[in-house]
Amino acid sequence: MSVLEARGLAIGYRHRPVGEGIDLALGAGEILCLLGPNGGGKTTLFRTLLGILPPLAGTAHVLGRPLDDWPRAALATRLAYVPQSHAGLFAFTVEEVVLMGRTARLPRFATPSAHDRAVARECLERLGVGHLAARIYTEISGGERQLALIARALAQEAIVLILDEPTASLDFGNQLRVLKEIDALKARGFSILMSTHQPEHALRVADRIALLKAGRIVGQGPRALATAEALAALYGADASEVARSLPQLARA
Amino acid sequence: MKLAGQGTALRLAVLSAPVFAALLAAFAFGPYPLSPAEALAALWAGPSAESDAATVVWQLRLPRILAGLLVGAALSAAGAAYQGMFRNPLVSPDILGVSAGAGLGAALAIYFGLSLAAVQALAFAGGLLAVAAVVFVAGQVRRHDPVLVLVLAGVAVGTLFAAGISLVKVLADPSVQLPAITFWLLGGLNAVASGDLGLAAPLIAVGLLPMLLLRWRINLLSLSDEEAAALGVNVVRLRGTLIVSATLITAAAVSVAGIVGWVGLVVPHAARLLVGPEFSRLLPASLLLGGGFLVAADTLARSAAAIELPLGILTALVGAPAFLWLLARTGRGGA
Amino acid sequence: MNRREYLVALAGLSAMPWTGAMATAPATLHVFGAPPPSDRVRRVFAAGAPAAVLTHVLAPDKLLGWPWPLSAEARDLLAPAARGLPMLGRLAGRGSTLPLERLVALKPDLIVDAGTVDATYLSTAERVWRQTGIPYVLVDGRLADSARQLRETGLLLGVAARGERLARYAEEALSACGDRAARRRPGVYLARAADGLETPLAGSVNGECIEAACAVNVARGPGGGLARVSREQVLAWSPDAIVSQYPEFHALARQDAFWRRLPAVRDGRLFLAPSLPFGWLDGPPGVNRLLGVRWLASRLHDLSARTDWVDFARDFHALFYGHAPTREELMRLPGLT
Repeated sequence: MSVLEARGLAIGYRHRPVGEGIDLALGAGEILCLLGPNGGGKTTLFRTLLGILPPLAGTAHVLGRPLDDWPRAALATRLAYVPQSHAGLFAFTVEEVVLMGRTARLPRFATPSAHDRAVARECLERLGVGHLAARIYTEISGGERQLALIARALAQEAIVLILDEPTASLDFGNQLRVLKEIDALKARGFSILMSTHQPEHALRVADRIALLKAGRIVGQGPRALATAEALAALYGADASEVARSLPQLARA
Repeated sequence: MKLAGQGTALRLAVLSAPVFAALLAAFAFGPYPLSPAEALAALWAGPSAESDAATVVWQLRLPRILAGLLVGAALSAAGAAYQGMFRNPLVSPDILGVSAGAGLGAALAIYFGLSLAAVQALAFAGGLLAVAAVVFVAGQVRRHDPVLVLVLAGVAVGTLFAAGISLVKVLADPSVQLPAITFWLLGGLNAVASGDLGLAAPLIAVGLLPMLLLRWRINLLSLSDEEAAALGVNVVRLRGTLIVSATLITAAAVSVAGIVGWVGLVVPHAARLLVGPEFSRLLPASLLLGGGFLVAADTLARSAAAIELPLGILTALVGAPAFLWLLARTGRGGA
Repeated sequence: MNRREYLVALAGLSAMPWTGAMATAPATLHVFGAPPPSDRVRRVFAAGAPAAVLTHVLAPDKLLGWPWPLSAEARDLLAPAARGLPMLGRLAGRGSTLPLERLVALKPDLIVDAGTVDATYLSTAERVWRQTGIPYVLVDGRLADSARQLRETGLLLGVAARGERLARYAEEALSACGDRAARRRPGVYLARAADGLETPLAGSVNGECIEAACAVNVARGPGGGLARVSREQVLAWSPDAIVSQYPEFHALARQDAFWRRLPAVRDGRLFLAPSLPFGWLDGPPGVNRLLGVRWLASRLHDLSARTDWVDFARDFHALFYGHAPTREELMRLPGLT
């Protein structure tokens, strides 16, 4: 059973369609990695799947229910979004940032309780950054911020995670750290839809990949789909150059 | 449901000390020749005592102090909410044009020679009208970042109303109406009688209620709209509620005290430095600090010289350097 | 005729008996351009409110219009001929509400302006004269100079005899205080605005009537114009009398707990002066205040006098405004009921 599914989805804005005919399925406990060039419609697709942007046509289902049927707060308890780590404007503590993830489970006028705080701290611990709880979010490194944002998603107690380029603008060490945590999340049973600009990361963590170009899914399947030729066609590059950069790719 | 953690309660208690001192000073000092000891004794004696000291302390100073607390708290709370909502620590409650609207309402009322109560009412209505116009205009533009659109619409509408004020000033009789308009726009608490607060206080209380109830969720508005929505918050509704709330309290405060700038900008900043940006802590800190600040400024306004120094000028004299200092400081760390 | 020649001509007029007093006084008029001979002045534009009142009392038939919108109630108290004069707007540099083109279209013989003259006003007047070619006369002086203003402007407008008559009234009204209030000049607070907390400071042009009535303006503070004050400050000043032209404030003072406690209000020395057609004490700060000065002086010092203020006002109106309203009309004025 797919936890997240798109059927014939057309995405875009009122006067600017971005993509159409998108069929996507994320199975339970699997990692689906989205690859594609800039401007391909990734962000728009994520926004649509999160229910933030209305689809222009087609349907999306989360845990078997149509997206339209999900009230916002209820959706947030099942489906969580992890954006790229951003600098942050106000000096919230890391614990407060993670606590924001608990909001969907709080009654409307409530503030986080001791239990919520405990959950937040535990999410940080499981990601190995429990020591950052009292630090200021704007003062920690990019990699640590990304982990904090993942902790926030976990604090929602969601089972489906959408990660938007989780390794972007991170140094190599931090990239490895984040990828390791993504592996661990899969081991814990989370279903993950993520995007990345680095095919080698997809090859490392993904169970399946999908290729998104100019608003259309031009390929979807197991890791082996990512051949040098396929990537060259996707990114508009030369296949031999791709093979040189990524020697681990299978040749078609 | 706790309001604040352990460390914060201590910090708020510490914050109360200077505020309390400002209150005592406000009772003790003023243009009437009364020594601080006499004033405090009169305060202790109660309002029914027949002496001049009792009149001064209970009929004259007390309403002003209450008004100062109320207006300062209101403006600071609105500023704190807006700074989070607009994701910009340099925002003041006037950003959506409420002060310009209130100023125009008051100027028109003075120009047409209406009663004092009418001036207050029209100022309040003008403030609400200006923000309603801004929200309406912003709602028509769908393309860009909604927060940016609000700010730009606020600038445009605010400028329009300010031009209206200038027009009224030109048409006003320079010997009678113009001074009255000018003084009103500069802000001051000297005309406050206890009756004025009877209307403004409940309005401010009603306006603060949503802020208080939603104090946790407001934190999420400082994230991008997408993130907040993905975390389960109805961003448009929350923002709308906050704008209504902040506008209500700001319009009420301006209708009582005229246009008093800088309080809504600098006080939340200072409060944020003390207790952090988390709104369920920031709100009480802003309320406390704002009330104390304005009471202190008002004490200065009526005691420094025989004439009243307009409150807006005093808050600017303190606020602007404080703001520049904060600006230089935030270059180093987070806001 | 430039300014110097004009003054020479004025000096030449000193042969006339009634100008004897004037010839020794310093010049009150600052003239730009050459005003026509006084018997040929027909159309006079008043640049501001005090000048309009000055022109109206001297030569009402020559005034072209009012610089501010005179209310219907004010007009009803004026002479029928003056009631229909249009509102033209004022000339005040940047604060003008009358475009210069329209001014020229009115074809005045003369522009008259009155008030304290400083470098700004002088340069503004000169500029208007250069741009429009219309002679501009600035009548310098404050309330104390009223007699001189009336005489010299009377000469200018070709109504010397009338100017003399009004000047005599002014001299009597402003006669030195001397024995009056010899013991102590009472402290007076002039309350403006509906809440009474706006006041002219001692020395300002808006509060001159107080000093002219042989009293002292209690409002002392930095600056020399209008100021806002607090009630506490008024309590500290403890004025002997409170006077105002604002009926709303007067009503407030009579029923508000704070104001009623003040000695001035408690002992019945809270006075309300009419403000129609022109303020008795202020608004505009012109010769209209001569009425208020006598009234205020009498109420402050001649406590036993039982003057009929309605008759008093009627006489003043008849002399200055050329029209005596009926007793009923005057009694409708706030302060005279």
